[in-house]
Amino acid sequence: MLNKLALSGIRHRMRDYTVLFSGLMIASAIFYMFLSLATNKTFLSSNSPAAATAFIFGFGIILLSIITIVYINYANTFLLSMRQKEYGMFMMLGAKSSKISKMIFVETFAIGAISTLIGSAIGIVATKYVSQWMINALDMQIKHFNSFYLPALMWTFIFFIVLFIFSAIRNSISLRRTKVLTLLHKDSQPSKIKRNGAVKFIQAIIGLIFLAIGYYSMFYMGKNAMFIYLGVPIALVTIVIGTYFTINAAITAVISMLKRNTKFSQKGLNNFTLSQLSFRIADYTKILSMVSIMFALALGAITVGLGFQKQISTVVNGQNYYDVAVHNADTAQKNRINHLSGDDQYNYSYKVDDKSKTVYYRASEFKKQPFYYESFNMKSMLATTKKSTNINNPDVSYSMQQNMLPKYRMNQLKAVSDAEYNKIQANSDTLTLVKTTSFKNNLSKIKTISKEEAKRYPDLKQAGGDKYSAYVMINGFFSGLEFMGFFLGIAFLAMLASCLMFKILSGASGDVKRYNMLHKIGTRQRTLRSTINKEIAVLFAVPAGLGIIHVLVGLQMFKGILFQPYSHIEVPFGIFIILYLGYYLLTRYLYKKIVLK
Amino acid sequence: MQKIVEVKNVEKIYGKADEKQYKALSDVNFEVQPGEFVGIMGASGSGKTTLLNILSTLDTATSGSVKIAGQDITKLNTNEMADFRANQIGFIFQDFNLLENLTAYENVALPLALQNVSPKKIKPAVTAITEKLGLTDILNHYPTELSGGQKQRVAAARALVHEPKIVFGDEPTGALDSKSARALMDTMTKINHEDNVSILLVTHDPFSASYCDRILFIKDGEIGQELRKDDNTRGEFYQEILDSLGTFAE
Repeated sequence: MLNKLALSGIRHRMRDYTVLFSGLMIASAIFYMFLSLATNKTFLSSNSPAAATAFIFGFGIILLSIITIVYINYANTFLLSMRQKEYGMFMMLGAKSSKISKMIFVETFAIGAISTLIGSAIGIVATKYVSQWMINALDMQIKHFNSFYLPALMWTFIFFIVLFIFSAIRNSISLRRTKVLTLLHKDSQPSKIKRNGAVKFIQAIIGLIFLAIGYYSMFYMGKNAMFIYLGVPIALVTIVIGTYFTINAAITAVISMLKRNTKFSQKGLNNFTLSQLSFRIADYTKILSMVSIMFALALGAITVGLGFQKQISTVVNGQNYYDVAVHNADTAQKNRINHLSGDDQYNYSYKVDDKSKTVYYRASEFKKQPFYYESFNMKSMLATTKKSTNINNPDVSYSMQQNMLPKYRMNQLKAVSDAEYNKIQANSDTLTLVKTTSFKNNLSKIKTISKEEAKRYPDLKQAGGDKYSAYVMINGFFSGLEFMGFFLGIAFLAMLASCLMFKILSGASGDVKRYNMLHKIGTRQRTLRSTINKEIAVLFAVPAGLGIIHVLVGLQMFKGILFQPYSHIEVPFGIFIILYLGYYLLTRYLYKKIVLK
Repeated sequence: MQKIVEVKNVEKIYGKADEKQYKALSDVNFEVQPGEFVGIMGASGSGKTTLLNILSTLDTATSGSVKIAGQDITKLNTNEMADFRANQIGFIFQDFNLLENLTAYENVALPLALQNVSPKKIKPAVTAITEKLGLTDILNHYPTELSGGQKQRVAAARALVHEPKIVFGDEPTGALDSKSARALMDTMTKINHEDNVSILLVTHDPFSASYCDRILFIKDGEIGQELRKDDNTRGEFYQEILDSLGTFAE
């Protein structure tokens, strides 16, 4: 009978359970997605040249596990908050507490097991599509990646099942220990108020000091790469503590300042919103700090990932000024060249003297069409474009050699007058160099030209030298890092935002009464909705704001590896904020569904 | 003089036409004059809360008309209803319904802030009403730091601060001990007499009802008997109510 009652209780709250189920499924799906990357050693070693990758992913697994534990904890609180009143009622009617705790055990475990099963399946499918999308969108080359990876699946199961067994035990114990009356009136239990200005002030100072230490260590790591193994843990610990205190103290201070400003606070429901927030912040400090750290890590991962993507074009452009190099172009190649955007085309005639191992060029052609080349500055790590009419300059001849057919690359280059050139007894060949308006936009056409050229001169396949071959090599080198950064970032974001969402939603049932009261004393629905929007917006914005500052400072760490870590930073920030915004909108929609009748 | 409340032929039916229907109110008619203190009494399930919800625009009547201060509230849309509650009505609930994250002062100030009254005007208004209700010392306390009686007085101050046309009380003494209940009813009577505020109280407690000028008895959704205090003392009126309840319940 009791089981039947419990089941009907679940049916009545189907909407709340849908939220819970989907949240848990997302959690296990993300966990699987991440593990499918992180535990696949072949994938890691074949896609990343850096030894630090395994270290970073090890760190990632630990962080994701912690956040998952916290997440399950919130989801569990949400479940218990839904059920305790009903279970209290069963107990009041005479059900034995052992029976009830068995019921809650079975319920928690069943919910966990079912959602893990479905979630992992979703994870496999999502991994496939997300990775495909990323690989296509960013033209990445990924080796040994498979969306179905058995060890990852097993670890996901083990991890979640163990967590749910613990949650189930905890729920049944906590239910057994709570008095029936407390269970029945759980919603109306008032929260306690703490007022301690001095402690808050000290906390704010400590918070800022810790943040300063963390930030400084990140600056220092940017200059001294060897410091990284000590610096990362230091930064992580100090920034976590700093963030916690800052949110706890500084945000409370801002809220009470706003409250004191009567012009602002005594307008509409502003005071109510501020009070809701100041009560919430105390309760939310832990999760907000965690979310802000995770936000920073996730955003940082994507930013650095995309930083490598930007690096590709910088490095590729530094390899060769010209986008295309064609020898003795036939009509087909000429046609293809004419279809490229931009008409910077240069034709140089040359003759090869096999005896003296010399390649002769017409000096007059270089006068008419100066040769452009990239000069690499080791200090600034940047390449600058230069032009020259003198092929005998060593920098120029080195760059020119890359555009030549592999068998002549070791030859000496010489520019001679037209009269001397004509005297040389050899075939005259033509080298056509093209600079398009954008290498990236013409990529597919350039690829065809390069492939055709390799068919005509098979040595080119091995030797490369043209810009496209350089691109293929460098893209392969950086894609792995970029893919990991993106994946890591999206996994973290989805997890942290779901965490925050759950925390907010689990407080919603307590708010029903408050909003109902405001409705009764004559608050318009629109005002109530905008109050909810504002409140949830602040809860989302606080960790995001702090997280963004963490990332901006944290990028200093990568100054050694990335040329310009801050250039085009708006792209990853934009992607990230759009995804985060999606979570915000979903949360406020669900919250309103629960709170407003 | 314009009547404060004018209820004509009000009917409330729950359930759709094709379902089993339940008539909560049938043909209810009554009026409240300005400055009157009226009680509505009835047993649980008699329809008194339904009636109060309709009067306060929280629910709508199936048919009939309800005018508050001359305005027909059955023709208002949702937004107008909210504004109407905010401007014209004060509420005192059984379980106080204070917001526990606001101080007593902020709770009282809320209706004014909702009407976007300027902060300069909010302070004197809150000070005046809280002084009258003897709340000056506890203004900075949160509801969890107050006793039941204090909470209900804060709720009363919140109901009165925006000078509503009428105050509705839904079992306001229901959650109070006898001493606090007496103090609250004394305060409400004082405000009714001194400031000429109209009050309509829904209760099943004869003691609270004995403070009213007039009592309407409701049973099975219909208003039956009516009692007037006239020149009786409160004790005599209390006895009269008890007697009526005895006969009315039969």
